[in-house]
Amino acid sequence: MAVKTFPLPVITWRTHLNALLMVAKKDWQHFWRYPLNAFSSLLHPLIWLTPVYFMGQAFSVDGKAHGFAAYSGTTDYISFVLVGMVLNNYVNTVFWNIGFAMKWDMDSGVLESNWLTPAARPILLIGRTLTSLLVTTLLSAALLLVAGLLFGFRPTGDVLAAALAMLPLLIGLYGFGIAFAALVLLMRDANSVVDMTSYLVSVFSGQQFPAQSLPRWLMPVSLILPLTYGYDAVRGLLLNTRTLLPIPVEVGMMTIFMGLMIWLGLRVFNQIERKVRQRGTLGQH
Amino acid sequence: MTTTSRALAPGQVRTAEGVLGEWGALLAVARKEWLYVRRYPSWVISLLIWPVIFPLAYILSARALSGPDQSGLALFIARTGISDYLGFIAIGTTVWMWQNVVLWGVGFALRNEQWRGTLETNWMAPTWRFTFLLGPSLVHLAQMLIFMLVSAIEFGVFFGVRFNGNPLLVILLIAVSAPSVYGLGIAFASVVVWLKEAHNFVQMVRGLVMIFCGISFPIALLPGWMQEVAVFLPQTYMMRAIRSAALANATLSDLMPDIIALLGFGAFFLAAGYILFQWTERRARRAGAIGQY
Repeated sequence: MAVKTFPLPVITWRTHLNALLMVAKKDWQHFWRYPLNAFSSLLHPLIWLTPVYFMGQAFSVDGKAHGFAAYSGTTDYISFVLVGMVLNNYVNTVFWNIGFAMKWDMDSGVLESNWLTPAARPILLIGRTLTSLLVTTLLSAALLLVAGLLFGFRPTGDVLAAALAMLPLLIGLYGFGIAFAALVLLMRDANSVVDMTSYLVSVFSGQQFPAQSLPRWLMPVSLILPLTYGYDAVRGLLLNTRTLLPIPVEVGMMTIFMGLMIWLGLRVFNQIERKVRQRGTLGQH
Repeated sequence: MTTTSRALAPGQVRTAEGVLGEWGALLAVARKEWLYVRRYPSWVISLLIWPVIFPLAYILSARALSGPDQSGLALFIARTGISDYLGFIAIGTTVWMWQNVVLWGVGFALRNEQWRGTLETNWMAPTWRFTFLLGPSLVHLAQMLIFMLVSAIEFGVFFGVRFNGNPLLVILLIAVSAPSVYGLGIAFASVVVWLKEAHNFVQMVRGLVMIFCGISFPIALLPGWMQEVAVFLPQTYMMRAIRSAALANATLSDLMPDIIALLGFGAFFLAAGYILFQWTERRARRAGAIGQY
């Protein structure tokens, strides 16, 4: 009797890319399965923005916030906040969503079977952000358009340079996101802590106001967060705001942060993932 | 199989023994809910931290808008007549958090039972089914009273807010506001049982409060049509009345129009909640969908 043999799959860059795209495609289908969520994702930032807009109006004359300008270098408060909100959407997508996506897989009971595929685990994690990044980009464009019509959005600087300055920040955040995913693997839940931490990080990194306006005793909290310099540099390029440090210095800091976080994130993930597999708790939630 | 209803037949009167039995059932449901609360003590961390960190974003934004020379603040005071913007924001955000937590807590009380698979069996108990919503509401109200007390202390310690009004009036206003807040939560809970997925609706309802009721700004700044919408939301009256009582030394007679409006809203939302609950119960039993999730 002839023995039928099957060759082992050969893993190449092409197969990695296929895995990445398949994960993204699955998420894309999942996202559009619930179209109300898409509508809500657009509505939600507008809801948060509205009280901020009217509060800004209470402190302004003819839409110009002169008191605010003394700290930030711009009287255009609402554009300042809008840029912060869009950046925050990207930060949340990369910073937290990798870990949350893993938690959803745990709860749905598919994490263990996904883990058994011959795809590299970081590829599975990064794949989970591709659809989110695309959706965030579409929603952010829609947000800028709608909020621009409702409240006004006036970028006065270089849009392309600002977009390029965002890149090292986002890539660096992948490192953090991967490390956070490892923690979720270990703890299996971190929702309430994440909720509070993400809120505090967005407050202190200057999503709604410049770090310069913080009370002296709170300013160190803002200055130790790398995100603060990322937000600051992007706003400096896009809105010509007054920055904490010269923009090339801030972009350089972001680039160093990017390399460091990617190295650290992968290292933490590999160690924790090995530990979780040894304990056999991967399928538990 | 059909479940039996405990609704009284025409002409039937609930006896004293029956009323005592219902009271016992209410306490049992409240006790069960309290056990859940004690089982997951992380809510204590939220209770201590959220009162400080949620208003923080608005307070620090207002500080930035004021400017180093306080020129922005002078504009705010001239426009609104309010000098204590910290207290103004602290009260607005606390009312918003109260409604938000009730929508997630009481609003999902029955839905959580569905998830746990216990709603259908509870439904068969020989008791008034509305008790299954009143019980969690009682525990929730107790939790929120602690939350408000902690908030008031933390606002004073961390932000220097001084509530110089009459505390008894503030307590009275919280009491007359509670029926509106919990009535809305109860109505919501009924709708969630048949809608199943209601996260987007929570975002919508709390969004209405955030946009129209002036959590961080006076509603006089809103365009005319938005002010007209705000008139139909009880949270507008809650924020205005509590701010006046706690920060501006308003008297009972000053607050009377808002108190009457809040009582009216309370009666409306409680009645709407009860009617929706009964409708949902009938609909779910006919469709046999009470245990589905």
